[in-house]
Amino acid sequence: MVSDSVALPGRLPAGARSTAAAKLAPFPDARRWLQLGLAAIWLLDGVLQFQSMMFTRAFSQMLAGTAAGNPAVIADPINWASRLITDHPVATNTTFATIQVLLGLGIASRRTIKVALAASIAWSLGVWWFGEGLGGILNGGASPVNGAPGAVILYALLAVLLWPADASRDDARPAPFVAARLVGPTAARAIWLVLWGSLAYFALTTGNRTAQGLHDMVAGMASGEPGWLAAVNRGAAGLLNHQGLTASIVLAVLLAVIAAGVFLPRPLARAAVILAVVLALVIWVAGQDLGTILGGGGTDPNSGLLLAVVAIAYWPAAVRPRTPEAQGEAA
Amino acid sequence: MMIPAWILDIFAAIMLAVAALSASRLAIGRLRPDTDIDAAHTLMGVAMAGSLVGSLHTLPNAVWVVVFAVVTAWFAWRVAAEARAQGAAVLGTGHHLPHLVHSGAMVYMFAAMTTAAHGSGLGMGGAAAGSASMGTLKVPTLGFVFILFMAAWAVWDLDQIGSAHLHRRGVARLPQVKVAPRPAVALAAAGPGAGAVSGSGQAPAPTTAGAWGASQAPAGYPGSEAAGRLLDPRVAVGCRIAMGISMAFMLVIML
Repeated sequence: MVSDSVALPGRLPAGARSTAAAKLAPFPDARRWLQLGLAAIWLLDGVLQFQSMMFTRAFSQMLAGTAAGNPAVIADPINWASRLITDHPVATNTTFATIQVLLGLGIASRRTIKVALAASIAWSLGVWWFGEGLGGILNGGASPVNGAPGAVILYALLAVLLWPADASRDDARPAPFVAARLVGPTAARAIWLVLWGSLAYFALTTGNRTAQGLHDMVAGMASGEPGWLAAVNRGAAGLLNHQGLTASIVLAVLLAVIAAGVFLPRPLARAAVILAVVLALVIWVAGQDLGTILGGGGTDPNSGLLLAVVAIAYWPAAVRPRTPEAQGEAA
Repeated sequence: MMIPAWILDIFAAIMLAVAALSASRLAIGRLRPDTDIDAAHTLMGVAMAGSLVGSLHTLPNAVWVVVFAVVTAWFAWRVAAEARAQGAAVLGTGHHLPHLVHSGAMVYMFAAMTTAAHGSGLGMGGAAAGSASMGTLKVPTLGFVFILFMAAWAVWDLDQIGSAHLHRRGVARLPQVKVAPRPAVALAAAGPGAGAVSGSGQAPAPTTAGAWGASQAPAGYPGSEAAGRLLDPRVAVGCRIAMGISMAFMLVIML
């Protein structure tokens, strides 16, 4: 669990501070835990890329499908990449899998984390375009339930927010949450607003607010999934049956509340973050079937899990300057 | 198209390397606190290589199920002993927990392969044709949980490798053992502070990482420098990382 507080060196002499830091260094802080979570997800993605199906034409056809409805300037490169993968499935897929495994291992290692995070940003942007068709945000198919704005772009976002550097060197004014440590609280809150605000918008697009839009989306996930997950899908689909408009409005309101939540005082901001985590996990399980990994063919855990990780990075910490006595106890 | 055979060959080679390293540690290390871990890695490496490449097949899958059931029971006992000695919190970071899960995953995988063999009439140990001959996991949710654990523990190990914390985790939390008759050799092989663990149960003071390296090897011990390096705890952790990723790979292609 992420630490509830940000401990600070306080007014210790430089020598004592470095000694105490050296004693504490081996155990990860909140940001390091989140980096390790990101690394584990990249590693999972890389291993999933080794599935048999990924070496078949089905994989390239799946990628080509993301071109549909997109402008030509977006769709044409997707189709080119799809043809390339069709012609060289083993070489391309093995490369993809290896890259993702290395990204996971690179982020996990303290020596290579910066290189790996930078590479993950470039890789994520490429996959977001060539593999996810920009998450469907330009073709009208995007929905918070089906993975908008594209799971892989959230990897890039996390790589930025969790970058191992701090914008402020002022110990007296630490970042109020992990995501603000590099970009600062204002920019971090703006990113949050854009992310969750756009999800609220996508929840209200035409395809999502039809009577059976969300029902069909969720019901269609059950095929091939284990019994318990298919039962969850059927239960959720039953609740959404002919309730598409109402469900879309409720979802959009929840997402809008979350989007505004980080601008509120700390107790309310914490409530918004908790709501974000819960909603993301509900979507991940009931709407995304854990990325359809259990049914075979999933290449990643989809966006729900990543949204939850992003939300945790915004958990408002209780800032308390560390006293020399406290450091001695911690050490 | 199934998974290309050369990819399976690479993973099998990695497993054989892990088995060889672990067997070497067993051979030169005498009785150490983590002897059971090296033995388990040796067995797992051989078994997984055989399941990935048919020509490396050794024992029938049903035999491997029994072997790893015993190994699982052993590590369950070790984890329980750790929890009794140091509290339930040790379950999150304990020395033997990952090995318990790895052993359980081996039972799970080989049980699935045994079932597939009965169903298809195919011989086992031949995954060169791809995942079809390895069977399909009957409870994919459990397989997914194992995969998540393998990925999470691999990145945790990588984060900790080389740090002082790894050293404390690898040495301080080892349960009491009776060392071999050559105390100087066995104590040095078990790492600095092992005597304190055996004698008083107190954790040793943090020391520099890699303290099981050449400088700590006993003078006069045959091949002491190489042996010291081989007995470095980071070698065992490296083996565990490779084992975890390879197991996750096998579980994924059996989903």
